[in-house]
Amino acid sequence: MNTAFKQRRTRIGWLTLALAALFVVAVLRLVVLVTLDGPRLNSLARSEHTAEEELAAVRGPIVDRNGEPLALSAETRSVYAHPRRVFESSTVRDRAKLAAALGMTPAELEAKLKKPAPFVWLARRVAVDKAQAAEAVGIEGVGAVSEYKRFYPESNLASAVVGLAGMDGQGLSGLELEYDKIVRGEPVTLNFYHDALGHPILDSPLELKSPEPGAQLELTIDASIQSLAETQLAAEVEQSGARRGAAIVMDPFSGEIVAMANVNADPAGIHDRLHNPAVQDAFEPGSTMKGILASIALADRAITPSKEFYCENGKWTVDHRTIHDDAKHGWLDLGGIIEVSSNIGAAKIALTLGADRFYEGLRAFGIGYRTGIDLPGEAAGLIMKPSTWREIDLANHGFGQGVGVTPIQLAVAYSAIANGGLIVRPYVVKAAYDAQGSVIFRHTPQVMRRAIPPDIAHEMNQLLRGPVNGANGTAHRAKVDGFEVAGKTGTAQMVNPAGGYFQNRHVCSFIGFLPADDPRLLILVVLYDVGHGHFGGLYAAPVFSEIASGAVRDLNIRPTDPNYEVASIIPIPGAKSARKRTAAPAAPDADDAIPALTGSKSPVTPNFAGMSLRRALQAARRLGITVDVKGDGYVVAQEPAAGAPLSRGTIKLTLGSVVADAAEVAASSPAHPGKSARSTR
Amino acid sequence: MAFDRRLVIRFDWTIFWSVLALAGVGLLSVVSASYRGPHKPIDPLVVRQLIWIAAGTVAMVTVVLFDYRALATYAYPFYVISVALLVAVQVIGHSTGGSRRWINLGFFHLEPSELAKLAIVLVMVRYFREEPPKGGWRLRQMIIPAVLLGIPVALVLKQPDLGTALILVLITVTLVFVSGLNARTMAVLGLAALCVMPLGWHYLKPYQRQRLVSFINPQADPLGSGYHIIQSEIAIGSGGPWGKGFLKGTQARLNFLPEQSTDFIFAVFAEEFGLAGSLVLLILYAILIMRGTWIARHTRDRFGALLAIGLVAIVFWQVAINIGMATGLLPVVGITLPLVSYGGSSLIAMMLAMGLLISINIRRYFF
Repeated sequence: MNTAFKQRRTRIGWLTLALAALFVVAVLRLVVLVTLDGPRLNSLARSEHTAEEELAAVRGPIVDRNGEPLALSAETRSVYAHPRRVFESSTVRDRAKLAAALGMTPAELEAKLKKPAPFVWLARRVAVDKAQAAEAVGIEGVGAVSEYKRFYPESNLASAVVGLAGMDGQGLSGLELEYDKIVRGEPVTLNFYHDALGHPILDSPLELKSPEPGAQLELTIDASIQSLAETQLAAEVEQSGARRGAAIVMDPFSGEIVAMANVNADPAGIHDRLHNPAVQDAFEPGSTMKGILASIALADRAITPSKEFYCENGKWTVDHRTIHDDAKHGWLDLGGIIEVSSNIGAAKIALTLGADRFYEGLRAFGIGYRTGIDLPGEAAGLIMKPSTWREIDLANHGFGQGVGVTPIQLAVAYSAIANGGLIVRPYVVKAAYDAQGSVIFRHTPQVMRRAIPPDIAHEMNQLLRGPVNGANGTAHRAKVDGFEVAGKTGTAQMVNPAGGYFQNRHVCSFIGFLPADDPRLLILVVLYDVGHGHFGGLYAAPVFSEIASGAVRDLNIRPTDPNYEVASIIPIPGAKSARKRTAAPAAPDADDAIPALTGSKSPVTPNFAGMSLRRALQAARRLGITVDVKGDGYVVAQEPAAGAPLSRGTIKLTLGSVVADAAEVAASSPAHPGKSARSTR
Repeated sequence: MAFDRRLVIRFDWTIFWSVLALAGVGLLSVVSASYRGPHKPIDPLVVRQLIWIAAGTVAMVTVVLFDYRALATYAYPFYVISVALLVAVQVIGHSTGGSRRWINLGFFHLEPSELAKLAIVLVMVRYFREEPPKGGWRLRQMIIPAVLLGIPVALVLKQPDLGTALILVLITVTLVFVSGLNARTMAVLGLAALCVMPLGWHYLKPYQRQRLVSFINPQADPLGSGYHIIQSEIAIGSGGPWGKGFLKGTQARLNFLPEQSTDFIFAVFAEEFGLAGSLVLLILYAILIMRGTWIARHTRDRFGALLAIGLVAIVFWQVAINIGMATGLLPVVGITLPLVSYGGSSLIAMMLAMGLLISINIRRYFF
């Protein structure tokens, strides 16, 4: 090898290195472009060539349990333009005509068209004829599409429950928000691709999928009972001088909300659609807490119904603080304490029970927990940990001061007393249907847990008749003609945000259910900020009575046979889809001894779910059915299913623990729409 | 010339397949760049490119059969013809986008500047084929090469075609370096180049200067004069690691990218095949170039070694400048991506060059 060759090799080697180095630079640059700059460049790319417009689909209607519309969508038109095409195809005079048709000045129109976009809106949601006039001008590149505007045909009826949908068809509050995903439907996204010169690319994927209309929501709300509740509540708010009021009507067994009313003393406004105090605001329940306290104390065996407490003649000092009763009482048993609503008696029961056990009981009743109702923004209420309670706190909590509950929480807690001890999940939407009418989902009653045993619930059911019927009862005004009512009044001083309580501002309430022997309806009435004559029995109880009287009429609920007592029945899920407007008045022969269990024409298999063995056997005996029982506890499954035609064969019942979830309950008793016991009455 | 079995045994398949792979990538990219929707017929551009690839392959294999050393004899005549064509293009040439670059031969659009690249390699290799005097070439011996380079460069600049002029200069510089330069001469030339640079800055178009500024400070003028580069960067960057998929590049499809089938074909490819595809492409070039320099290093014949370097230089500098431009590292100059960009003259010239490289490799044992 000669030197020249070697030297050349060396030089070529150096050159190779230099070239390789430049290659590495190129590779690094590429990596930087793709990784570090990638996201930025990608969005630049997108913004360069696409314009996206979303067309909202028609929102599905919201109707009450009888098909009465509460929310509907009306067709409007929105006028759009492809600016470049408009400028290419129209004269100034054409555009002036278009502006006139749309009710804007030519300058305003030009401003909208001057945007550097392949697509602009000229007018959103205008009347159909206005849009047609705009299209009639005949400019190429101007068009109109249908868009929908939400309106509420019943105006403010159930406004807080139904909620509000915004301009672009998005749910903002209430059910409109909670079920927005399905009510909203499938919006259409229009992708406009355009090339570097702004010309729309015609064969680019311009998707024109027809919008999938939103789902229809069928509520458990009954518009006429809702209306009744709102009217009665409004009247009482006005008469009593209360700032506002709330009322809940629910089925204590299924958790169906039949009415949920919120009324303001101020004129109704948008605020009423955005805020639902019945689930979103906590208040101090006052004496209605005594019913819950008594249930807990009885279930805990801390007291017996016959145990008497000395009520200190209306004045008792605990922790250097004095507890007052409205009247002087001496020795009272549990029934007496509830009937006259003695704070001192309640305080003594609470002290007997003790903080930890009281707290555990309240938890079981769901105090301080969300009920899980299908409405947005539910408040959890407020309850302090028992370790922080002083003696006076424990005593105060016994008659419902110092604890915050929401109306729905209180209604669910009392439902447990009414339905034999079960905490159910309340719900407002019974079912959802797609545009073709097929069912998307159907809510079935869901048992969350057991708060108290059935026998305690039964005991409380009896005791709660005292306030309404007892000689010294606080709620005589809650009476409903022909029905036995169980319930409790409540009055609490309102919390002063500055500390302590207002002396002269009260929350008055009444919660009760009827028929007491076979509770079908649970009704809570709350009047906030009543200044004078503040007793719950005075103001809230009459509203209860009015709503209850109307509701039993509307729902064809008949007075119970006084010979029959049944308290722990979970009705057939999906039952009570009572077509009240079409249902004939109940025929006399349809008056069964066990109205919740059988239909009028052909007898169907009753629903035993949730019954104790004793009650199941009792019910079977009445109907002349033989039952075959397995396991112990409460009925969790049956064969044949509830609602099936009743044959004279044997019904197999499986018993088990009823801390069941809804699926289990639902599985054991499938719905038979239109064939359920109650719907035929 | 009798057929030599060694032609088959020593045939360089690495170069052959790399060239065909690159041509394949090019064809794919030309399909992409000319694609205008699923229902439109295939652009005639694609068919022509396919024909040229076939013709180029034949030319490449044919040229292997010939002894490259014969080229020394034809170097000057070939150079003269090329220069003459460059003059001719000024007179009878057709212009594209403001510059006269090609002559219509009826069946073929001849781009003399593509021939000029080969001619400058041949003439420089011919000039430097003797070993330099002890210590390397001196400044005085650089005068003739300077003139030989100056004539075509001036003519190409006249078109104007800054890119090709730059390539001619870079090829010459590479060859001069490898041919063995006196250290002092190298220093003087380097210094001179540094001095000329500000002058070059003066001749740069404002947008080209802007690109240089932008390289240092990318935010200087994002949407102004550097539009082409930005579009190219957007296409490459938005392609991401795996690309948008064949025929799915939006930037190319919607004509945001300029000069898609020629100068910015890399961006078209990178948008659709992503960083992965770009790296594969770069690796193919790297194989070609590293193979070329390897051949140059192992060829005892000085003419052959220099010729190999010259051919490698043609490919390398065009790749470097084209990709540098597409990725925003260099100002926009009209340079095609060898073997990939659309264009018959360039493709056939490149494949001829690669055939020569194979020819050198086969014969490097002979002497």
